[in-house]
Amino acid sequence: MALLELQHITAGYGKNIILRDFNLEVEKGDFVSLLGSSGCGKTTTLRLIAGFSEPEEGKLVFSGRDITHVPLHKRNFGFVFQSYALFPHMTVYDNVAFGLKMRRVPKDEMRRRVLEMLELVDLKGFEDRYPREMSGGQRQRVALARAMVIRPDLMLFDEPLSNLDAKLRVKMRVEIRRIQQELGFTAIYVTHDQEECFAISDKVAIMNQGVIEQMGTPAEIFNGPRTEFIARFVGFENFFTITRQQDMWQTESGIPVRLSSSPARDTCKACIRPEDVQIAGSGSQLENGVPGLVTVATFLGRMVQYNVRTDIGEFVVKTEQSQVYSIGSAVRLGLRENKIIPILS
Amino acid sequence: MTRKKHIWLLLVLPGVLFLVVFMLIPLFSVLLSTFFPDTGFTLDNYVSLIGSVYFQQVFGRSVRLSLLSTLICALLGFPSAYYISRYSRHRGLMMALAVFPMFTSPVIRSFSWMVILGRKGIVNSFLVASGLFARPQSLLYNEFSMTVGFVQLFLPQMILSLLGVMDSIPGDLTEAAGSLGATRISAFLRIIFPLCASGLVTGSVLVFTGCMTAYTTPQLLGATDTQVLSTMVYQYAMSLRDWSQASAVAMVMIVVTMLVSGIFNHLSRRINPLAA
Repeated sequence: MALLELQHITAGYGKNIILRDFNLEVEKGDFVSLLGSSGCGKTTTLRLIAGFSEPEEGKLVFSGRDITHVPLHKRNFGFVFQSYALFPHMTVYDNVAFGLKMRRVPKDEMRRRVLEMLELVDLKGFEDRYPREMSGGQRQRVALARAMVIRPDLMLFDEPLSNLDAKLRVKMRVEIRRIQQELGFTAIYVTHDQEECFAISDKVAIMNQGVIEQMGTPAEIFNGPRTEFIARFVGFENFFTITRQQDMWQTESGIPVRLSSSPARDTCKACIRPEDVQIAGSGSQLENGVPGLVTVATFLGRMVQYNVRTDIGEFVVKTEQSQVYSIGSAVRLGLRENKIIPILS
Repeated sequence: MTRKKHIWLLLVLPGVLFLVVFMLIPLFSVLLSTFFPDTGFTLDNYVSLIGSVYFQQVFGRSVRLSLLSTLICALLGFPSAYYISRYSRHRGLMMALAVFPMFTSPVIRSFSWMVILGRKGIVNSFLVASGLFARPQSLLYNEFSMTVGFVQLFLPQMILSLLGVMDSIPGDLTEAAGSLGATRISAFLRIIFPLCASGLVTGSVLVFTGCMTAYTTPQLLGATDTQVLSTMVYQYAMSLRDWSQASAVAMVMIVVTMLVSGIFNHLSRRINPLAA
């Protein structure tokens, strides 16, 4: 049984419905990310789970218990905010101790647990500082410690790293993952940063317009996107239609393509990443070769990007090879069979 | 670098000059006149003033009514400001309503209270009609009507001061407190209230100073037996032509105002050590 279940949730602000018949299951110990662009409903989902707002319809079930109407202060979920939301008039110690004070934990146990947690987030010796005397990264670690010290049943992260600079973001996400594995808590992590989310999570749920388009391990999603939206999200830029002729598949223009996996339908879309398309002169022999004309050539430093017009549509190709094809030159594109992903829906 | 900084000082020069010429110099000449009336240094002005039972009564009333009005303004202003800052959908309208009293002169407002609190005013009509009292009560020309006048006069200042700090408190602090196990009440008491302390102090200083120095309201809504320091200054200066006594009272007012402001500030630092 899943630790947390969202069942047929409908939620929104006034007339603006953001989630409709939304479902999600989170297993104990998993680090699940909700990924999506702004307005897709990921933050709304997280705030529902936290108890900051209630759904209009549907149920939240935690450990088999209906918690839909349990008020937020009785849920025992840790929440880490994008803005950190530290209490500015309290020292680091008092910030972290806040949740324990609310739970009336005895003084010496409180002291021990706060110091232990500050040590875990590498902030030993900062107890008497005020939040405004600390850097963004340090504040976020205080926020992390404050949420974790209550030994929450579930940790919720709302884009916790998006206010940090790129270098620190990478460092902090490794840190968060390390602590999560050390303490073994279940986490739901909201982000719009694809790289961050793939690096940190056991499972990723990609959201689009209030629904989960696909949920799976990072590798599953990266290598087998199920919809065009997901495919675009994880870096596919070339889409074309393929149809079944007996046991073979071919493009609309009749060029045969071999697929490593075979969809159940007779016609479907397929996609391939720009980096996976081979490019060569028009005379060359290439696996799944498609002839085309270069329309745009862009120098990207380590790579060159070509836009190539073909009978089955415009292709974007990124190649590291040093051979340069000028605009207007005839080329052959190779769509390698194990790189072509059929899109199922 | 330093030269550039000096150039910016020119920006404050006009204001400083104005205040020195029209405020500091007159103030010091008043201060000096209370210690050096005609011949040499003397404390007579203050000794006779503080020794007078009448002055003690007026002084006590002034401070008492000002503190009471400040307290009432805080109690009324806090929920209003909190509502406007957090929950109001019609913020502009609410602000306008809160500030509206400031658009009319204190004289007109005092006259309105005379109508409302008079023997045949709506309050008395209601009290008699509802059977609470058999005959109209005297609600005017006493400390009650003065307090009512003060509160209405200065409530906007309190609300505006509180709104200023409340708007700067991020909404997610309450959510953070809640997620850590705090009830709404305890989140308010431990997070919101301490963070409002600086606004509460600013508001309280404004209201207290305003009440101490207000002249028309106590003059119109009070009576001869409910004099306060400001009306006393007027009386000494204009009716009795005793300028040095008037100046001494004015000095006492300044000292009290500064003292109380200091106490308010100290209290706010007890609530929130970071409050400015």
